[in-house]
Formats: sequence, C-alpha cells, structure tokens
Amino acid sequence: MDNQKLSHDILNILERLRIMHDLMKDKNFEHIPKEELLNDLQENLDLLKTNFQKLSQ
Amino acid sequence: MDKIICLGKNYSDHIAEMKEPASEMPVLFLKPASAFIETKNNGKIILPWERGLIHHECEVVFKLYKKNIIGLGLGLDLTLRDTQKELKSKGQPWEISKVFKNSAICTPIQGLRDFLNWQETPFILKVNGEIRQESKLSNAILKPNDMIHYIDKYFPICDGDLIFTGTPSGVAALKPNDMIELKFGPIETSFQVVAQDG
Repeated sequence: MDNQKLSHDILNILERLRIMHDLMKDKNFEHIPKEELLNDLQENLDLLKTNFQKLSQ
Repeated sequence: MDKIICLGKNYSDHIAEMKEPASEMPVLFLKPASAFIETKNNGKIILPWERGLIHHECEVVFKLYKKNIIGLGLGLDLTLRDTQKELKSKGQPWEISKVFKNSAICTPIQGLRDFLNWQETPFILKVNGEIRQESKLSNAILKPNDMIHYIDKYFPICDGDLIFTGTPSGVAALKPNDMIELKFGPIETSFQVVAQDG
C-alpha cells in the first residue's frame, strides 16, 4: 500500500474517531448503540495503530 | 469528510420557480471536501464574484455515520447561475458552476437531540435582514431515509460525508458584503460574503 493511500486511510479513521467522540460526548446512542460504538472504537484504534506502523516503515 | 453529496430538484416549489421539468427522482451531484467551509459567527467568507452571478440555495445538511444521520446543519449550496445555464444549454456537465472554493457553506453540525422535531423545524435564510428562503424538511420530495437509500444505490457513502438535501423556492443572487443569517432550531449564525480584497 502506498503512503498516500495509508495517509488517506489514517485521516478517515481520525474523522471516524471524531464522530464517535461527538456521539459519546452527547450520549447520542439513538441510532448506534453504545456497545457498537465501543466496538467500533476498538477496531478503529487497532487499525490506526497498524496504519501508523506501516506508514513509519 | 470524503465528500458532499447534493440533491437537486427535491422541493416542488423550487422546481416550479426554475421553470424546469420535474424529474422522476431528485438529481444527484457531488462537491469535494475542498469546496467546504464551516461558518464562524460574524465571520467573512470570500466568494469569486468575478465569475458571474452567485445564487444561494439554502439546504438542511445531514452528517452521516454508518449511513445514519447523526447530526444536522444548515448550509448554502452556492451556484454560479449564469455558468450553469450556459453549460446546461450546451448539454454539458455543470460541475464548474457548483464546485469552487467556499461553494459548500455549512453551520457547525448539531446533534439530533438538540432539535424538538427536526423534520418539522423551519429553516430560514435571511439576507440583509430579509427572509429569502424558508421551509421545512417535511416539504422535501424524498424523506430523509429515502434520500440515503437513493444515494446508496449510486455513490459509496463514507463516514463523515455530508448530504445537502436540496433547496426550496427563493433562490436568488448574492452581492458582495451581503449579511447572511441562517436559522434552524438551535442553529443560529450570521456571516458576511465578501470579495477577495474585502
């Protein structure tokens, strides 16, 4: 995967994290339950770490 | 944000004022994230007046996550109307009239729970204190979930994408230094549209 694609993916994950932050801050679980959001959070954090590691290689 | 997905011809009164035939379904087009600007209260937004008539189209904006509406804003989809008319008359694509810097203006997004009944909440655009556009989302041809299903048939929807949901009647030209006010439930903001050297 080239660096440009990795960088794009990382920025998309950060956007997702920002949305999750807003939803959790507002306790807005009407459409996406809290448990699902927490799972998404873990998945995205793992992916973020992997992508950052690849980007640094 | 990956992109802004816009619906055209989603309000009957706007189709009538444009004297255009209604299409079976609303028109879809895209604006890139680079065309986007978030309003700052009492801020200034620079527009390319040298490129001809700039029309405002006031629209409710959805923010999406996992194809769910997780927040709302009020936006202006700006259009270079002369350019659009010329391109349409030649049967050419009209992106040039829709995609330019600051052509997708939106207030900060508010959570749905900040609205009492968002589909029935009036949204209002005032220019220099005069109401130019006023409607509510329940007047749109497609209902919110139908808009997302419709878009999903054609475009990949990404988390964080915005949907500009179409404009009601009252579209008109802006002038340099016009004062713009946008009001939609808890959202209330004002700003000025200016020229580069303004």
